[in-house]
Amino acid sequence: MSDLYAKLFEDVRFREGLKACLNCGTCTAICPAAEFYDYQPRKIIDILQTKDNSKIEDLLKSNTIWYCGECMSCVTRCPRGNAPGLLIQALRSLSQELGYFTESEKGRQQLAIKRTIGKWILEYGYCLYPSEIMPDMHPEQGPIWEWEHKNIEAVMNRLGANYKGTGAGILRKIPDEALDEIYRIFEVTGGISRFDKIEEFSRIKALDMGMDMEDGKNDDYMKFIYTANSGDHTLKHED
Amino acid sequence: MKIEGKQRIWLDYQKEIADDHFFYVRSCVRQNFFPGSEKTFLRILQSELSKDIYENPSHTTCSGIGYHTDIVPFATSMTMVARQFALMTEAGYENFTTSCITSFGLYSEVLETWHHFPETEEKTREFLHKATGREFKKPNNVSHASDIIFRFRKEIADKGKYRLVNQRTGQPLKVVEHIGCHYSKMFPSKGVGGAEYPYVLVGMIEDWGGEVIDYPERRHCCGFGFRQYLVQANRGFSISCSKKKFDSMEPYKPDMILTNCPGCPMFLDRWQYAISEMEGKTYGENGHGIPVLTYEELAGLVLGYNPWDLGLQVHQVPIEPLLDKIGIPYDPEMKFRGADGQDLGKPDPPSVLKFYTEKV
Amino acid sequence: MSKSAIIIGGGAAGMETASQLARLGIEVDLIEKQSRLGGHLNSWDRLFPNRRDSKEVFEYLEQDMNDGISLHLNAEIETILKAGDRFTLSLRDGKELHSDALVIATGYEVFDARKKEEYGYGIYDNVITSVELEEFFRNNKQKNLFEGIKSKRVGIVHCVGSRDEKAGNLYCSKLCCVTGVKQAIEIKELMPDAEIFCFYMDLRMFDRHFEEMYYEAQEKWGIQFIRGRLSEASENPDHTLLLKLEDTLTGLPLKMKVDLLILLVGFIPSPETRRLAAMLGLKEGDDRFLCPADEHTITNSTTIPGVFLAGTVKGPASIASTITDARSTALQVATYLK
Repeated sequence: MSDLYAKLFEDVRFREGLKACLNCGTCTAICPAAEFYDYQPRKIIDILQTKDNSKIEDLLKSNTIWYCGECMSCVTRCPRGNAPGLLIQALRSLSQELGYFTESEKGRQQLAIKRTIGKWILEYGYCLYPSEIMPDMHPEQGPIWEWEHKNIEAVMNRLGANYKGTGAGILRKIPDEALDEIYRIFEVTGGISRFDKIEEFSRIKALDMGMDMEDGKNDDYMKFIYTANSGDHTLKHED
Repeated sequence: MKIEGKQRIWLDYQKEIADDHFFYVRSCVRQNFFPGSEKTFLRILQSELSKDIYENPSHTTCSGIGYHTDIVPFATSMTMVARQFALMTEAGYENFTTSCITSFGLYSEVLETWHHFPETEEKTREFLHKATGREFKKPNNVSHASDIIFRFRKEIADKGKYRLVNQRTGQPLKVVEHIGCHYSKMFPSKGVGGAEYPYVLVGMIEDWGGEVIDYPERRHCCGFGFRQYLVQANRGFSISCSKKKFDSMEPYKPDMILTNCPGCPMFLDRWQYAISEMEGKTYGENGHGIPVLTYEELAGLVLGYNPWDLGLQVHQVPIEPLLDKIGIPYDPEMKFRGADGQDLGKPDPPSVLKFYTEKV
Repeated sequence: MSKSAIIIGGGAAGMETASQLARLGIEVDLIEKQSRLGGHLNSWDRLFPNRRDSKEVFEYLEQDMNDGISLHLNAEIETILKAGDRFTLSLRDGKELHSDALVIATGYEVFDARKKEEYGYGIYDNVITSVELEEFFRNNKQKNLFEGIKSKRVGIVHCVGSRDEKAGNLYCSKLCCVTGVKQAIEIKELMPDAEIFCFYMDLRMFDRHFEEMYYEAQEKWGIQFIRGRLSEASENPDHTLLLKLEDTLTGLPLKMKVDLLILLVGFIPSPETRRLAAMLGLKEGDDRFLCPADEHTITNSTTIPGVFLAGTVKGPASIASTITDARSTALQVATYLK
């Protein structure tokens, strides 16, 4: 078995986030994910402290590490200077590098994020882009967004944006040279490699599950991971 | 509650906020959902305060949302940040100003990481040079745009035409303030007032005539949670967090919510709508919901700007009840019109949240 | 010529060291910055583990003192100088004192609970410290305290300002756990139908009869112990407190309402101790308490000849062990002066 703990240790966030836990529970007390999900950040640190690679492997393949919302409320409170939120980031990174993320329902969702946010960063230079935020994929955005989306150019113009324009301003067209620079940054720093891994491992999983997976937003696998929820993620209560 | 206790804490966390010559980087969420806010920020700084604030058109996302959804490796985000610093250096600026709170958190985290793990800074310089040929200097000062409005809140109050007072009753408006998690939870000393009793929005509210409300779930995350919202299957987490806050603030009868993060006003606005559709429950008075504002929108209102220039028409929870309370005039006819007055139609009214169609 | 010693600090340690040295024929000057002797002994009502009246201990220490001691109350120290084997102290009122030996017995302070911002001390009405509770008991003011309590739920928070990197103190303050258990019992005696919760991380019941007190608290008084450090206290509209913590034994987050929150504040080295130590060049540990010459074998002397330590300048200690320590210091001083 590979030394997963050692691999985690290579991530500076892991080194920064794990000093030693005395199990006081102030992190779990304040964690929004612990309120709603069957999730306790304290338990994650407890497992990591044991340096037990088989437990860490289970963690990397589980839904557990994907419940965190990265709000960092835990960092504010820990009396030992630990940061469960940073450890989650290190775990999630490793889980994707090794392909373990496809073993869990929540982990599989990374492909959906890569094909939306990830795609838009490289294509537009923004993490979000109005024409991509389809009202029917986001009913919670309300009729106001529907109206805005329909009239996006006029609304942007009304509010003083420079939508798709040259020069400075809101939602300007980011110059192609800049987009090229971003792409090269992603290339040399392992960003493209991460994106590729997310695709590759997902492809293997989709095949395994007998689902179609092209490169778009509407294939079966994408729809599946975007919406699937087993309903099994919250705390069990004995009522 | 003893306010002196809080004031003592606020005095302990005084952070340095630059006062001019800002290099401005924009927010992905705000450009999409609150463009009027960013426009207003520049308008206030340039026209009202005569400050030098510069935006390089070549700047991009810091990749913060990608970083916090863990699709973007840390080294990549560090280099994206470095590129932004390089643009700042190239333009001859030292004071870095972010529009987004996630960005602010990321820039702070990257600078701290470089400080504690110098080899990561070295590596980043190598990567940036290899990918773009650029070099950078670290900023002298990193402030969030809300820090700057905070710094100049008294000047804004002096120039202001309106106060945060209910015209009908003469009472200060009751304001809930909500701070973005990435502002100070990770590095309390980088937030005005620290992490437990942040002062950046309180200062604005107090100097503009309002009354701040504290309530048990004040510090609770709004629930963005990055992947917890962006993937449909996870959205229950996001809406539940906001609902926790609404239920907790309701007994205090707030007139409005003020936020400093891009995502938070979006969620606190839209989740009120979603909750009303799902459960038939509305917060605030008369079924209208509690209006949610960004600090630029509020500053703009205080300064007497046209509400439709500020972008208040693109909020789902109607803003008119608040405007009426303050006594700010507005033209309902112009609300959904384009720049040249063209008719853009109207959004459908929600089924539960009352669309504000008449003045009371 | 008779040998002399100056003892700085008129608390339990200073008083007892003075008594012992005077009895051995040494001229003693006892300097105290407040207007009366006793130090923190004046703050407590009843002492663990047997809940006897602290005034009895004070009276014992006071009666033990005799005419051989020159007492200087309301005295603040400006400077201390060592020249050869002699010490010269200049007081703020202009007086100058000389001696052949110096005993630092300036004690401790309690952690300022305002620094633990998320607990709301100094902000919310119903958050008090263990020290304030003792004051209420001592001055019979508990009626005012408990009057407003509706549902009679009291929370006691362990480790406030101790074992906490963010509070600046990594060490354990040792005596807070037993204080919390004692106070829980005392409150329950006054309000038999109250629900009392101790929120602890570890129960440090290390000394004689302490563990038995814990057992009594559970079995006889029904005090409830929840293993979880308080993460946050907020105020409800009715001024009760909403607590957020994790019950780490069941592994679930816990939210509960209490009427009154009592913070068990720990020891911190007193600023005066540190000021004098700096003047003399005494060694401080990482925890900022003073270091004796050897942690195991020479615990009453410092590395500076003629300068001795007694009591809580060296770290958290109980009254009983402070008195014993003071006698040990006296013996070391007497031996040095022979």
